[in-house]
Amino acid sequence: MRTLYESGPRKRVKVLVPFFALWFLIIVGRLAELQVLNHAKLKSEAQQQTRDKVEVRARRGTIFDQNDRILATSLPAETVYLQPGKDETAEVNIEKVRQLQPLLGLTDAEATRIIGLIRSRARFIYLKKRASPETADAVRELNLEGIGFERDRIRIYPQGKLAAHVLGWLNDEGKGGAGLEYAFDGLLGGKPGSQVILRDARGRPFETQTLLEAQPGEDLTLTLDSTIQYYAESELAHGLSEFGATWGTVIIMSPAGEILALANSPAYDPNNGAPADQNLWRNAAIKANFEPGSTFKIVTAAAAVESGLVGFDQAFDCSAGSLVAGGTVIRDHKRFGVLSFAEVFSESSNVGTALVARRLGPRVLFDEILKFGFGERTGIEFASEEAGLVHPLDRWNKTSSLEHVAIGYEVMATALQVLRAMNVFATRGWLVRPRIVLKPSETERTSGLPATHEVLDGRTAEDLIRRVFTLVVEKGTGLPARLEGFSIAGKTGTAQKHLGAGLGYSSTEHQASFVGFVPAENPVFTMIVVIDSPRGELQYGGQVAAPVFRRIAAAVLHYLRVPPRLEQRVKPVPAEPAAEERP
Amino acid sequence: MVRKSWTTREIVLAAAFTLVLVAVLTLYIWYQTEYVRLNYEIDRLQARIAGLREEVRKLEAERSRLLSLDRVEETARGELGLTDPRPGQVIYEEPPAGAPGKTR
Repeated sequence: MRTLYESGPRKRVKVLVPFFALWFLIIVGRLAELQVLNHAKLKSEAQQQTRDKVEVRARRGTIFDQNDRILATSLPAETVYLQPGKDETAEVNIEKVRQLQPLLGLTDAEATRIIGLIRSRARFIYLKKRASPETADAVRELNLEGIGFERDRIRIYPQGKLAAHVLGWLNDEGKGGAGLEYAFDGLLGGKPGSQVILRDARGRPFETQTLLEAQPGEDLTLTLDSTIQYYAESELAHGLSEFGATWGTVIIMSPAGEILALANSPAYDPNNGAPADQNLWRNAAIKANFEPGSTFKIVTAAAAVESGLVGFDQAFDCSAGSLVAGGTVIRDHKRFGVLSFAEVFSESSNVGTALVARRLGPRVLFDEILKFGFGERTGIEFASEEAGLVHPLDRWNKTSSLEHVAIGYEVMATALQVLRAMNVFATRGWLVRPRIVLKPSETERTSGLPATHEVLDGRTAEDLIRRVFTLVVEKGTGLPARLEGFSIAGKTGTAQKHLGAGLGYSSTEHQASFVGFVPAENPVFTMIVVIDSPRGELQYGGQVAAPVFRRIAAAVLHYLRVPPRLEQRVKPVPAEPAAEERP
Repeated sequence: MVRKSWTTREIVLAAAFTLVLVAVLTLYIWYQTEYVRLNYEIDRLQARIAGLREEVRKLEAERSRLLSLDRVEETARGELGLTDPRPGQVIYEEPPAGAPGKTR
């Protein structure tokens, strides 16, 4: 019996074998051309067409206040772009833009700019950066050719303008541009990862491979309390509007140095990115150097008592109302008679303070100024901070600087430095380093400065509080800061604004300030209010800044549940019936 | 060319070998398929977890926005007609007798 193999048509095999051999050789030849001869060139072209290596931005850390309220957080978003096809006309792509304009919320100006790019044959055009996922999905549903999406993130500041100057903002690249966003950009930003997007022959992505996982940024918890911050901002804005002032700042700090509120007005909404006007996002509390005026007298008073050169029982004749110092005249805001040491400061007599300074001499005053931390940065965790200006002693004018410095001129300081100096009394002698970041705690290492050090004898501080600084508020220039049921220690300041080199001081432009702490006997917080260039009749720190201090202090003490002193509490009254219950 | 015909034993052995080979290949393919499927499932679940985490963050941000103090004050004063307490309407409780800090 013949097998299957014995019955095959050999003739046909003889014809087919050379045919298949030739076919095989052609294929091998073509493969050799593609894989060997043109390998490098074709591989590069293929990778360019089918693989995109993209950076994956890490999730930015969240910023919380001390009560874990979110101040800044990052949410997913998508950036929508257009890649015009090689064969497509400009009109086709312009039509796509017109179709997407309402969906993406593009303004006419933005649409015109994009159309211009299409006409100039740009091959890649961003249509909308950081669109919400919902918007991106709506665009995706249209399934338009050439429209692509990049994963991105959007920074949200849920409290709007609150603490804007503290937080700062992010630039277009997602990097911190100001405030803590800038100072802690490395910590918050994390480390970016990378992905390869594989595309098909038509350029459509079909697979994403992660090469390196992005490491999310760390969260930041601040010492700020949103509620206290809100009171500070509201009352400051109210004060600016009431007195027609240009700008103002309020800082509230615990005696231990934790910043509870740091407000500047006018404010801006960081959700809209960087404001065009740089002055609007400048953190004046730490960046504005100004001559502090009478608030600086706290240093003169401390130098006087600490050195033992002036006693509380001494009196100063201020009846002339003015004093000549090196060809310049120092005047009082009103005519006084003979003032005691305490009254010199409670009435904020410039003449009396100059007389006190003359008994001290420049060296004693200069040393005290340095001890109180003027002329050096406080070490708060912002990236940049002004150090103020204290001229070296050998550059002091021998005939006038002593008197001028004693009343807060010829020195420059930031609001935070003045606050820190006043806080020395609140802590009974300790100069603290202010801090605004609670966690992570290693940020404490960012400054080489010691956290606290003693600069004043505790008894000196206590005496000055009891006999001078509470008198300022009880009977002196700070009376409008008086708060029923609480003892406040403070000092007013009214500084004429310097008009520039050789132009002297303005007689109409002032910086009004009030710095103090409450309750004086056991302080809960220290606060400074600075209001720049108030308009109208009220110009003095006691008239402009002290009432703002009182309103903020009242709200904050109530919020912190600090009860007023028993003997000064107002008699309780029943609550008024609601309107609908009234007869 | 003459070829030897297969015995029944050989055919059974060949069939058994083929069966085992097919079974092994099937098992291998099933294993690979299942491996890929489970990886897809893990990817899908991880994406879902990430999505839900983002959703939580979004809701937290929304809660924070809704509880922002200017909005709360606006609602309290504007819609609910609430006002600040008048002096004396806030009653401070006395600490109990014998509590630390109490003086007689």
